[in-house]
Amino acid sequence: MSAGKYMEKKRECGIRDIFRRTFFIDFIKGLMVTLRYNLSKSVTVRYPDTEKWVPFPRYRGVHTLNRDEKGRELCVACELCARACPTKCITVVPMEDDTGRGIADRVAKVWKVDLVRCLFCGYCEDACPTFALRLGKDYERACTDVSCALLDREELLGPAEVPWSFDGGVVVGARFERGKGGIKVAADLSDEKSPWFERQ
Amino acid sequence: MLDSALILELAIMFIKVFVVGSVLFALPIPLTWLERKVAGHIQVRLGPFRVGPHGVLQPLADMIKMLLKEDIVPEKADKWLFRLAPIMTLVPTFTVFVAIPFGDKVRIPFTGREVALYISDMNVAVLYILAISGLGIYGIIFGGWASNSKYALLGGLRSAAQMISYEVAMSFAVIGVVMLSNSLSLVEIVKSQSGGFLHWNFFYLPVGPLWFIIFIIAGFAETNRIPFDMPEDEGSLGAGYHVEYSGMRFAYYMLAEYVAMVTVSVLAVIFFFGGWNPPFNLPFHLTGETAMFVNGGWNAEFLNLLAAVIPLFWFAGKVAVFIYSFMWIRFTLPRYRYDQLMRIGWRVLIPLSMVNILVTGFMRI
Ligand code: SF4
Ligand code: SF4
Repeated sequence: MSAGKYMEKKRECGIRDIFRRTFFIDFIKGLMVTLRYNLSKSVTVRYPDTEKWVPFPRYRGVHTLNRDEKGRELCVACELCARACPTKCITVVPMEDDTGRGIADRVAKVWKVDLVRCLFCGYCEDACPTFALRLGKDYERACTDVSCALLDREELLGPAEVPWSFDGGVVVGARFERGKGGIKVAADLSDEKSPWFERQ
Repeated sequence: MLDSALILELAIMFIKVFVVGSVLFALPIPLTWLERKVAGHIQVRLGPFRVGPHGVLQPLADMIKMLLKEDIVPEKADKWLFRLAPIMTLVPTFTVFVAIPFGDKVRIPFTGREVALYISDMNVAVLYILAISGLGIYGIIFGGWASNSKYALLGGLRSAAQMISYEVAMSFAVIGVVMLSNSLSLVEIVKSQSGGFLHWNFFYLPVGPLWFIIFIIAGFAETNRIPFDMPEDEGSLGAGYHVEYSGMRFAYYMLAEYVAMVTVSVLAVIFFFGGWNPPFNLPFHLTGETAMFVNGGWNAEFLNLLAAVIPLFWFAGKVAVFIYSFMWIRFTLPRYRYDQLMRIGWRVLIPLSMVNILVTGFMRI
């Protein structure tokens, strides 16, 4: 249908059309829609005050280094992640260690990632043969100093705020904390709430 | 002749002006909050929530921000006019309230003095209001002109074009009201609508609703709000006539816009919805005399106070409904083009109101 034809159709002046225009029927319909929304519940996730979104398991957040069930480091310092990284932001320095710290006698002496350059593509995670490296669920990286974007082994091995056993994809209760080191939103994983797309 | 009665009279007048003025200055504070809340909830958001419980203190935070902002005057602007323009918008919007009645004469308890709940009962209040509220446009045009910016200038020009298209229809609508109520005084107009909602001008079928629609469309254009906010069309003019303003001068324009919204709501209530009259007749009259008859003494004074306050509540309630619908419509409709507004004004509203005047005239014979 050409534009002209469309206009013609619009200009048609039947009884119904006149009725519609005289009594502002379309306008009233529109008002009813907005009124309905005005009275419905809002879908806002109250982040950072009382709620926080925990992402799905496949979310690519900040890196985590993981251990096996016995507490040994899974990383074998093979440097594959460093090779796979398109921005070259991972540094791995291997060393010998047969005290049982890792699952093999080759462990990482230095393992650090520079999040300023990282683009969270997940190639490092894919390259890792032992599933030691996984991109986690943490996405709060705001700070006042660039140094906080340099993460080394100790930090990455530390317990994640959201454990892997927690599936995610939900909104949970949270508490807004303002400290010396910056601000943080502490999630309370036991307090699960409906996700925003199921509200209203 | 400076006797005590005159001094008392002056003091009461002064208090009234002070109260009305400060209420008008303070009113935009809750109204901005309300507007943002309504906007938020219509868009399934929450609106301001972090400053104070449910964000009620947000307007105060904004005010502090406005006060601390640098007050920029563009180098090539007409500096004197630039500084004058916001005041020129603000003053008429406040001056209109001199003629607006908020209630009838009430008796103050324990003194037996009668005080009128309006500053002055002009016999030509309708004309006064039309004249003064038309002046506010000058501030917008001057602001647009003095900024020496093309967007501001276009905003100002649009405002002028807009005014000539709604002002005529608005005056016609007011003429209709004058014909229905047989008076140019707002107090008389309200009094003529007493005695239940069927006596309201709005329910004077079939012309009442039509006058109301004409009036409210023109009123929306008068307040420069969506759907007729062409002078400050963000989409095509940045912010229109106040694009160069910042800090408190910008706040003056905002203040004027909110007060204009209140003015139009108040006028709609007075003209069409019976002002402070309750929508139904109470089975008894709540005045001091009847109460004295029933109970006597102290109760009478209390009922007197009640009789004074209840009409104010009716008035404020009706105005609140209108203010809400201003906001409701703002977040429902898109913006008209200004040629569309001119077409609505000249080709729909004015012929319609002429026919309506004829019909009203025949009905009032
Ligand atoms: S996510 Fe991508 S950019 Fe970031 S460290 Fe891994 S491979 Fe490099
Ligand atoms: S994290 Fe994985 S890929 Fe990277 S060095 Fe360790 S084992 Fe190799």
